[in-house]
Amino acid sequence: MVKILHLHNPEIGKHFEGIRSSLTGADQAWLGAVREEAMTRFTNTGIPGPKVEEWKYTNLGFLANENFAVGTKADQTSEIKAFYDAAYLADIAGPVVVFVNGHIYPALSSYPDEEGVEFSVFSENTSAFRDTLESSDQASSLNDLNRAMVTDGYRLDIAAGVQVRQPIQIIHIVTSATDMKLIPVRSQVTASKGAKARIIETFIGAENERYWGHMISETTLHDAADISLIQFQLQGKQAIHMTELHTTVAEKANFSHMSLQLGAEISRTELINSFTGEYAHIDLRGAYLGRVKQSHDIYTRINHDQPNCQSNQLYRGVLDEGGKSAFQGKVVVARDAQKTNADQSNKNLLLSRKAEANAKPELLIYADDVKCSHGATVGEMDANQLFYLRSRGLDEVAAKGLLVEAFVAEVFDDMDDEILRDAFKAKAAGWLSREERA
Amino acid sequence: MLEIKNLHVSVGGKEILKGVNLTMKSGEVHAIMGPNGAGKSTLSYAICGKDGYEITEGTVTYNGKDLLDMEPDQRAGEGLFLGFQYPVEIPGVSNMNFLRSALNSQRRYRGGKDMPAVEFLKLVRAKAKELDMDAEMLKRPVNVGFSGGEKKRNEMVQMAVLNPSLAVLDETDSGLDIDALKVVSDGINRLRSPENSILMITHYQRLLDYVVPDFVHIMADGKIVRTGDKTLAIDLEEKGYVGLGITENAA
Ligand SMILES: Nc1ncnc2c1ncn2[C@@H]1O[C@H](COP(=O)(O)OP(=O)(O)OP(=O)(O)O)[C@@H](O)[C@H]1O
Ligand SMILES: [Mg+2]
Repeated sequence: MVKILHLHNPEIGKHFEGIRSSLTGADQAWLGAVREEAMTRFTNTGIPGPKVEEWKYTNLGFLANENFAVGTKADQTSEIKAFYDAAYLADIAGPVVVFVNGHIYPALSSYPDEEGVEFSVFSENTSAFRDTLESSDQASSLNDLNRAMVTDGYRLDIAAGVQVRQPIQIIHIVTSATDMKLIPVRSQVTASKGAKARIIETFIGAENERYWGHMISETTLHDAADISLIQFQLQGKQAIHMTELHTTVAEKANFSHMSLQLGAEISRTELINSFTGEYAHIDLRGAYLGRVKQSHDIYTRINHDQPNCQSNQLYRGVLDEGGKSAFQGKVVVARDAQKTNADQSNKNLLLSRKAEANAKPELLIYADDVKCSHGATVGEMDANQLFYLRSRGLDEVAAKGLLVEAFVAEVFDDMDDEILRDAFKAKAAGWLSREERA
Repeated sequence: MLEIKNLHVSVGGKEILKGVNLTMKSGEVHAIMGPNGAGKSTLSYAICGKDGYEITEGTVTYNGKDLLDMEPDQRAGEGLFLGFQYPVEIPGVSNMNFLRSALNSQRRYRGGKDMPAVEFLKLVRAKAKELDMDAEMLKRPVNVGFSGGEKKRNEMVQMAVLNPSLAVLDETDSGLDIDALKVVSDGINRLRSPENSILMITHYQRLLDYVVPDFVHIMADGKIVRTGDKTLAIDLEEKGYVGLGITENAA
């Protein structure tokens, strides 16, 4: 018997035919060709089904039946402003770029404007994205779907030695009345030698709409570059949220990614990283909090193709009744990648017997002089800690809240930026108080 | 006033307390001594409402209210404090944050308002100083990496800040060096007042030299088998349990 690995939904191809003439950059032949080829590849391959190993924990079966239509430009509304206010970290200030329903929203955006920083938006300058769109290396079928339909996105280039002063905030908003919308966006970040920047990206959207946010990011760090990317996922509770990040890290460069998954019905975070030079460092960390009908899936891969590099992964999950999660962390240490230092830690706290956390660390080590470690745990709240707190007067909700906060704190405790650390804490605490009301 | 009548407690289906009777009036200091495994900690947990301590018979009332009917945090609100024999480590929660939540929870329980942050900070600093605890330690996670003695001292800082009307102190003196024992004893004595009662569980006469009890009880095999004044402890120190005719299976 043949195992069905991929699923097909012919409506997607039909929808593409119907809207292709109105897609961003429809007048440009090269882009039309890129879209067409990508769509063909996607149609041929299909949607990865639950039998595809990497997708074991996120069942995309619904994509075979549900039909999404690509998001269109939104008019200005007070709803957009409210989402913006919830997402924008005013204490940090600095440049902010807002996308609404997958389209740039100039009214609330102020692009980075600094010597040595080049910033472009796809819908305003499609050719800036030509290289990346034309190269289909490692393209997964969903990456191709995104490529075929992409509406907007941004590109950031930082010149050699430039240290971007203020963090750049990117906010993705999805409005209500966008039921069954697909929001395909992309980003491309290139840090030249010694360049440094911090990007804070927030995903937020209508609470009671079904929509599918899909983002592909490509980040390139040249020698001694330092990029830190922070992502807050605050999507509406019926949303599907997917991000796929491809990152290469050259000699002595530092890449750090930190994420907080709070929203969406289904979230999938894919982080595919490769070292392209020695003495470089990758730090991936995040917290995911899930409850009824929610599923968070973190899929990481670190290719240690170079010697003397270090990678650290730290993930903490909290699952309440009906919540589900998976952490799949794959580290591949090539034969020549001696003196590799790779560690991985994933701990999960279950607040209910009806919660589920899956941990699947995978270490493939072909070098002999390496230090690699991984640890994964799934546990319940410590009854002694709970009693200790309650014996001092904290009621059950407050005591549990404090312990949950403490459990995820490890992820962001040693952040040097106090404003960001507080933002993380406040958002995580917000999830808890939302639970109180439920 | 704390009144414990015919208290029977089972843990994991096994009867540990087999009919404890104890009455403590306001202002009194009582000590409970007894061999290992007698049920002293079990009594303290039952008073404070720990899960898994099943009350099969008897009553515990405090100022006329039925404690057994209350959640542990409500009992704290009523003025109860348990000094743990083994204080619990809580990574990720700072002492300060913990203490502030605890104090304000109790104030709210009693119908009051949160203590202003500045006043709270002053209070905690003063209490830590009295107990010879470095203010830096207050920023650290609760009990994490604290030595045995530091943990006990931290219990006393919490007690001083929360200012309970009934403190049950389970072997607060164990693991303290001689100087620390003096500091902790001073802390207990400061709580002593006509309104407050203190129940000290201890193995050693030495603590009772510093904090002189009004009554001394000996517990064995889940019951209080003897009650006297401070001289009972002195007697015990000299003769031991066997010398007093108390064996571990004293039933
Ligand atoms: N969870 C449990 N399950 C079964 N037995 C228990 C449990 N907890 C305590 N016990 C038993 O109850 C008895 C009393 O224990 P407890 O801790 O109250 O003694 P104690 O008087 O405080 O002793 P120590 O002086 O050593 O602190 C002991 O025999 C102990 O093994
Ligand atoms: Mg004990």
